Amino acid sequence: MTHQPEPQAPLTEATVAVDGSEHGITKKGLSAGSVGLIGAIVIGISCIAPAYTLTAALGPTVSEVGVQVPAIILVGFIPMLLVAFGYRELNRRMPDSGTSFTWATRAFGPWIGWLAGWGLVAATILVLSNLAGIAVDFLFLLISQIAGNPEIADLATNPFINVTVCLLFVLGATWVSYRDMQTTQKLQYWLVGFQVVVLVLFAVAALVEVANGNAFDATAIELSWFNPFAVESFSAFAAGLSLSIFIFWGWDVTLTMNEETKGSEKTPGRAATITVVTIVVLYLLIAVALIAYAGVGTGEYGLGNPDIQDNVFFHLAGPILGPLAVLVSLAVLTSSASSLQSTFVSPARTLLAMGHYGALPEKFAKVSPRFFTPGYATIVSAIVASVFYAVMRFLSEDVLWDTITALGMMICFYYGITAFACVWFFRRIWWRSVRNFFFTLLFPLVGGVILGVLFFTTLIDSMNPDYGSGSNVFGVGLVFVLGMVVLLSGVAIMLWQAWKRPAFFRGQTLSRAAAED
Amino acid sequence: MSDLADDPIRRIVVGYTANDSGADALALATRLARASEALLDIVMVLPSEAHASTVPTDTGYERYLKEQSRGWLAEASESLDDDDVDVAQLLHIRYAESFAEGLIAAAHEFGAALIVVVAARGGLLGRSRIGSVANELLHSSDVPVALAPAGSRDVPVAQGVTRVTAAIGTRPGADALLEASVRFAVAAHVPLRLVSLVSVDLPAGLDEGLAALTSTVHADEVLLAARRELPDYLDATSTAATGATVEEAVRGLDWHVGEVVLVGSSRLATPRHLFLGSTAAKMLRELPVPMIVVPRTTTP
Repeated sequence: MTHQPEPQAPLTEATVAVDGSEHGITKKGLSAGSVGLIGAIVIGISCIAPAYTLTAALGPTVSEVGVQVPAIILVGFIPMLLVAFGYRELNRRMPDSGTSFTWATRAFGPWIGWLAGWGLVAATILVLSNLAGIAVDFLFLLISQIAGNPEIADLATNPFINVTVCLLFVLGATWVSYRDMQTTQKLQYWLVGFQVVVLVLFAVAALVEVANGNAFDATAIELSWFNPFAVESFSAFAAGLSLSIFIFWGWDVTLTMNEETKGSEKTPGRAATITVVTIVVLYLLIAVALIAYAGVGTGEYGLGNPDIQDNVFFHLAGPILGPLAVLVSLAVLTSSASSLQSTFVSPARTLLAMGHYGALPEKFAKVSPRFFTPGYATIVSAIVASVFYAVMRFLSEDVLWDTITALGMMICFYYGITAFACVWFFRRIWWRSVRNFFFTLLFPLVGGVILGVLFFTTLIDSMNPDYGSGSNVFGVGLVFVLGMVVLLSGVAIMLWQAWKRPAFFRGQTLSRAAAED
Repeated sequence: MSDLADDPIRRIVVGYTANDSGADALALATRLARASEALLDIVMVLPSEAHASTVPTDTGYERYLKEQSRGWLAEASESLDDDDVDVAQLLHIRYAESFAEGLIAAAHEFGAALIVVVAARGGLLGRSRIGSVANELLHSSDVPVALAPAGSRDVPVAQGVTRVTAAIGTRPGADALLEASVRFAVAAHVPLRLVSLVSVDLPAGLDEGLAALTSTVHADEVLLAARRELPDYLDATSTAATGATVEEAVRGLDWHVGEVVLVGSSRLATPRHLFLGSTAAKMLRELPVPMIVVPRTTTP
C-alpha cells in the first residue's frame, strides 16, 4: 500500500535490514507479479468466465433489447474500455489493494470513497451469490445428464436443496480462497481452453441445426442485429447496456495485472487486447447462433421465455447438443468454480484496505499469517453472500435474473465513481501531454458519464414492477428495491462507522490528494 | 573427521510465520543459534505470484503483504531483543512457490547448515503430526532440517543445548549423520551421546530371544565403530536402546530438557535428500525434545 505509515518497529541493527528486493524479484529473475502473456490471457478469460456470464446474462439482455443483443455486446464494451483506461492510470499512480475505495477517497474524500468501496464490495458479493446459484443449477443438470434421469435436474428448483447445495459451494470456495489454493497453471490452461472450445462447439451446433431445418424457431440472421439504433427505446438500450457491462466485468484485470513485468511493457496491453477480442468474438458467435436457433419468442425454448431466461444454456444445451450437452454443463461448472475464486479476492482485498485505513473495524485488515490471504475479510464476504443468496432465493423465483440486473447497476455505480475519481485526481496534469488529455480526462470522463447515465436510468426504470423478471415488493420493482437496500444499507453502515471511527472520515488516515506531475 | 570441528555452523535459517508455529520455530532456532554461536537468518517466504493461475495478481496487495511481513519480522526481532537474547539475526523476505522451496533456496543462498521449521501445526487430534511444510522439506531438502515440537516457544532460550544425541543404525546414512552430530556437538561445546536403535529396528516376526541377542551384540559393535571415528577431544558416550518397539525404546532413555536429537533420513530417500524413515517418524511422535533430520549425504 502506498500510503502506509512506516511500521512502528524500532530500527535496531537487525530490523533496518529486512532484505528482499523492492519488487520481489525471485531467484528466477521474475517479478513477483509477473505472469506472462498466455498466463495473463488465461487469467483474464477465467475471470470473465464467458460460459457462466453468457448463460446468466443472455436471457435478461434479450428480454430488454430483443435481437439486438450483438449490437449491445459491441456497444457495451465502449464504456468498459474507457473506464478501464482510467483504472489503469490510477493503478499505475497509486497501486493499492483497495482500488476504487482508495482512489475515490484520495480524489473526493472519505464519504464518496467509502461508498465507492461499498459499491465494489456489494457488486462482487452479489455476483458471488449468483455464480454459486448458477453452479448449483448446472451441478444438478450434470448429474441428471450422467444418470440419464431428467428429474434430478428439477431438484435444483427446490429452494431448500438449492440453498443448501449453494451454501456448500460457497463454503468450498471460501476454503479454497482462504488457503489460496490455486490450480496449476497447466490445469487452468486446459480448463479455459475447454470452456472456449465447448462454447464454440455449442454455437456451431446451433447453427448447423438451423441449417438443417431442425431449429426450434429458426430466425434469419440480419445485419440489423448489430445496429444499436434499432433498439426500441432508450430505456431498453440503457438496461441492455448495463447488463453488457456485467459481461465484460473482470476484463480490466488483464490491463493492470502485470504492469510491473520487467522488460515487457507491451504484455499487459497485448494480453488485454487478445483477451477482449476472444471474448467479444465468442459472445457474438453464441448470441447470433442462439438467437438464430431459438428466436426471441416466448415459446418453450425461445430466448424470450421468462422461464428459461435466467439460465439459457441450462435449457438449450439439451435440444441443441443432445448427448453432448453434458459438455456445456461441465464448461459452465468449471467456469463458475474458477471464477468464484478470483471473484472472492476482490471484495476481500477492498475490505482489507478499508480496515487498514480505519474505514471499517481493524479486523478486516488481518492477513492470515500462514496463507497470506485477507482471511477475515474473505470469511465475512462469504457469510454475507450466503445470507444474501438464501434470503433472495426464498423471496424471488427469479433471483438469478434480478441479481444480475441489480449487479449491472452496482457496477455502473462504483465504476462510474472510479472513472470520475481518475478525472479529478489528475486534474492538474490534464494538459501536460496529449496522452494525459486522452487517458486522464477524455476517456474516463466519457466512460464515467455513460455509466452515470446508465445507473440513473436503470434505477428509475427499475421502480416499475414489470422491470426485469417482473418480481416486485409492494408494487415496486424488485431490482429497484434490491439496489436501494444495498445502497442505503451502505449509507447506514457508513454513518455508523463514521460515529465509531471518526479518524478516517476526518481524512486523517487517507488524505485527499491530486497528482502533481 | 577432525576437520569437521574446523567447519563451524555459521548460519541457521528459520522459516518464520507470524503465529504460534512461527514462534515455536523461532524459539528453537534462536536456542540452537545461541548455543552454536551461529548467525540466525529469519526468513519469511511469501507466495510468488508468478505461478498465479486463477487469481489476478495485484501490485497493491503485494506491497501490502510485504509491508505487513516487514512489520511481522520487525516484531519477531524485537521480541528477541526484549528477551535479551544475544543472537545476531538477519531478517529476510523471499518469494517462492512454496514455503519449503523458499527455505531451501534461502539456505543455499546463505550457505546455512540448518533449516528450522515447526514439526506440525497443531494436529487435529492433538497428536504431533508432520506439518505440510515440514513434510515437503523432508522430501526435498539437501540441508539438515530441525523440527521444532509444538510448545518450543515455552522453552527459555537460556536453556541452550545441553547434549546432542545421534540415533544411529547400521544403514547407509549413518556416516553423514555422525558427521553432522559431531559438528553440532562441537559447535555447541556439549557432549555427544550415541544411541543405537539397532535392537528395536528389526523386522517383526523374528525370534525374539535370538533377535535380542544378535542385536545387542550388533549394537555394541556399531557403537564401538562409531566411537572410533570420533575426535578425541569430544566428550562422547554411547547407549544401546532396548525395547519391544521404537516408542518404548525412546521412552526408556533419559532426555535432557536441552537435548537435541539427530536422525538420518530414510534409505528410501534419493541421495543427498531428506526423507523421514518409519523409525524416525515413530521417534518424532515420542520424543520430548527437538529432532534434526540429516540427509544421507550432506552437501560437501
